[in-house]
Amino acid sequence: MAIEITLTVNSVTRTLSVEPRRLLADVLRHEFGCYGVHFGCSHGACGCCTVHVDGQPRLSCLAFAAQCDGMTIVTIEGIAKGDELHPLQKAFIEEHGLQCGYCTPGFIMAMLPFVERGGEPTEADIREAMSGNICRCTGYHGIVAAVRRAIADRKSAANA
Amino acid sequence: MLERLPEQPRYIGARITRLEDPRLVRGQGRYIDDLVMPGMLHLRLLRSEFAHARIAGIDASMLQERFPAAQIFTGADIGELAIRAAADLPSVQKFAQPILAQQRVRFVGEPVAAILLDDAYAVEDAAELVLVDYDPLPVVADVETALAPGAVPLFEGWRNNLFIEQTRKGGDLDAARAAAAHVIRRTYRNQRQAGVPMEGRGVIAMLDPTGRILTVWSSTQIPHLLRTYLAEELPWPENQIHVIAPEVGGGFGVKGHIFAEEVLVAWLAIRTRRPVKWIEDRREHLIASIHARDHVHTLEAYVAADGKVLGLKADITVDVGAYSVWPFTAGSDPGMVAKVLPGPYDIQGYEATFRGVATNKCPIGTYRGVGRPSAVFSQELLMDEIAAELRIDPFTLRERNLIPSFPYKNVLGFTYDEGSYAESLVRMRELLAPDIAAARASRDKPVRIGVGFALFLEQTAHGTPDFIKRRSPIETGYESAKVEMHPDGRVTVDTGLQCHGQGHETTLAQLAAEQLGVPPEDVVVRHGNTMTSPYSVGTWGSRGITLGGGAAYRAAGMLRDKLLSIAAQHLQATPDAIELADRHARIKSDPQRHIPIAKLARWAQRNVENLPAGMEPGLHAVAFVDGPADGAYTNALHAAVVEIDTKTGAIKLKRFVVVEDCGTIVNPLVVDGQVRGGVVQGIGSALWEHFIYSEDGQPLTTSFADYLMPSAPGLPNIEVYHIETPSSVTPLGMKGLGEGGAIGPAAAIANAVSNALGVPVRETPITPYRIWKLLQQKNGNEGGEGREGR
Repeated sequence: MAIEITLTVNSVTRTLSVEPRRLLADVLRHEFGCYGVHFGCSHGACGCCTVHVDGQPRLSCLAFAAQCDGMTIVTIEGIAKGDELHPLQKAFIEEHGLQCGYCTPGFIMAMLPFVERGGEPTEADIREAMSGNICRCTGYHGIVAAVRRAIADRKSAANA
Repeated sequence: MLERLPEQPRYIGARITRLEDPRLVRGQGRYIDDLVMPGMLHLRLLRSEFAHARIAGIDASMLQERFPAAQIFTGADIGELAIRAAADLPSVQKFAQPILAQQRVRFVGEPVAAILLDDAYAVEDAAELVLVDYDPLPVVADVETALAPGAVPLFEGWRNNLFIEQTRKGGDLDAARAAAAHVIRRTYRNQRQAGVPMEGRGVIAMLDPTGRILTVWSSTQIPHLLRTYLAEELPWPENQIHVIAPEVGGGFGVKGHIFAEEVLVAWLAIRTRRPVKWIEDRREHLIASIHARDHVHTLEAYVAADGKVLGLKADITVDVGAYSVWPFTAGSDPGMVAKVLPGPYDIQGYEATFRGVATNKCPIGTYRGVGRPSAVFSQELLMDEIAAELRIDPFTLRERNLIPSFPYKNVLGFTYDEGSYAESLVRMRELLAPDIAAARASRDKPVRIGVGFALFLEQTAHGTPDFIKRRSPIETGYESAKVEMHPDGRVTVDTGLQCHGQGHETTLAQLAAEQLGVPPEDVVVRHGNTMTSPYSVGTWGSRGITLGGGAAYRAAGMLRDKLLSIAAQHLQATPDAIELADRHARIKSDPQRHIPIAKLARWAQRNVENLPAGMEPGLHAVAFVDGPADGAYTNALHAAVVEIDTKTGAIKLKRFVVVEDCGTIVNPLVVDGQVRGGVVQGIGSALWEHFIYSEDGQPLTTSFADYLMPSAPGLPNIEVYHIETPSSVTPLGMKGLGEGGAIGPAAAIANAVSNALGVPVRETPITPYRIWKLLQQKNGNEGGEGREGR
């Protein structure tokens, strides 16, 4: 009863046969080796499993892989350019936006479009934008600072 | 001899970004669920649906029909395997928790049967086909029921439902009572909650092909203790067990226990000769991992006319749930409160009776702060209530009661090292001045400002004598490190600590680098693996940097001495004329005369003919550091500024300010992160997080939709200020700080709400409903001190 689907994950396209009930997160982890996709709650409340599906942040614990047939997926493993980290990844390090690192991939994937949108978000805007993600270690302080820094860095890079 | 801070440290005190971060921001950390073994079986646990029941039968016929390959194990198969966690004290009643229920279940979520299959999805289907026939028994859902006259004990052979009941006293309470101008008696409550790391627990066990070596991967804070427990319980020779904690996604004390699942998975791997994997799901974690708090304290203070607290009497009850946990036991939370209630105050008469009560709920274990968040809640709310009753300013009342000098021996005989209690009060008064003024100005307005604070100390880095007194299975308090310099001059630190977010890979590297004259990037810190680390009791109890870091610094110091001796011969100088810096050994007064450290390291291991006559080859050292007998006392003052809408009870946290003193700081980035993270957990305790049970012991908060974790929008930035008072009783003057952030917030926020409302809060969580109800009571709409319904 497995069905055939084609996924493009971090620029690699593969056709594979999956059970219809298999979660996107499981397929990304075990078929594509993207173990940076983490299960935090498996009920769509913590954001740890956030990936981009056709450019949009999506909870891969609430999506079936079969629903994503033909779609393009980017995970945390796909955003650095070789050795060069994405500016948001760098900002997480600079601002101590992580401790145990378990929620971090989900936060980065959830906040990446927000950072790339730019503008001048307020503190409250930044906090609201991450309301779908839970971090138990940092108290969010470093994550908020990382997002703010990444937006500022992007702006100064554009002006340079 | 304790190490003193170097005059001009290069790396100690530096704000260095973490060496572990690059792999974590790339999603390259490998946590327990990311590990896959060939031929692995997946374990699904069938858990009790009843809070209290007798198991009349287990029917696996449907399972065997549909999934002939599935294997099932129940209490009948496991023999005597159990979690045996009791302090060796006459006041303690003992009962070992079977790793799978034996005929009787005592809380919803208790493991009843283990089902194995080679697919993680299919095993969940399979487990649903097993039918358990339960005969429900009367449920003891709360402390009142458990302690009611005639209550039937939950365990065979027990006198009553008390795991432990004991009294602790010091000084002259009768004299204090006789001299008191005021007696102030209050009752305070904290709800049941938990640590809730974002990664749940998980275990994999595998026997090697010879059948000798058992390797266990577990998301644990205590790998060596797990190895010892398995060796004794299975039993299995300890030199044939390897325990590895891979990347661990948070712990907060929850993973500082030995769990039934860890013993079970190891036993199943031996029994089936296949690798066995168990990954906890979020529901399992919330109902059946480890809960925390659930305290009721009644305090009676004997107070002089000037506000000086002469004596304190306390009655402490904790609903510790269905079983005692290893190694801290059911006595941990209540005992901790009884021990720490005198706090930073000079109280000369003290008596506390504490008890851990058995109920049909998830067992209570350690969670960041362990008893202290509740102790400080009661202590600091009481101080504010005394201040209010005597019409004394809360800052002044605390100043009047502070311990007068250092070292200070408290009423229970604990000696406090140097702290900055008075300075922190002065500093905070300045920081909060505008908010205090705003609070006064808002008194008659519909939206009111309140300011509250909590002053506390935290005993950290406890030494072995402290654990001997408790008589609990933890037994010891030392930490260990092995430091090795390789022939290329690079360094490995093997620590007995297990790192799950604390930044040890960076801070221990800083400490070793300081001694060895190499940059921290040249140091790799390995942890969480019993094959590489010397024995240790793991990461908990705010002891990592002080004891584990202290051990790394001490061991690196031994290597440093050896490097200096080798360099001395080559540079024709005495060792004390030489410094190690920038990867070189050089003459301090003539830096042009130098030799690369890598060369010395190579000589020590490859070209040993270059060593001074008689020197042993090799460049490694091991150090063990035990904590001071009474620990090192970190102090902090937390303050909250709240805004309350009196029409709805809505509460907004406007500011949260911390003034803390953890002695010498190794890395301020990490310290600030630990403080802020802890504070937000404490804010969760104060306002949102609550495990609720129905009257028949059913957990009602079983997902993140019901159990409210703090999220970013409801929180302010946490302001952190440091005072550094080095300790005289620890290496480098360091004190622990991992837990402190979580200790003060509930008290500070409750005092702020009381300040805003003009009516005392005495219970958490402080929900809008509770605030609204307090206002109704104050306005005379309803009498009495009611407890919140749902």
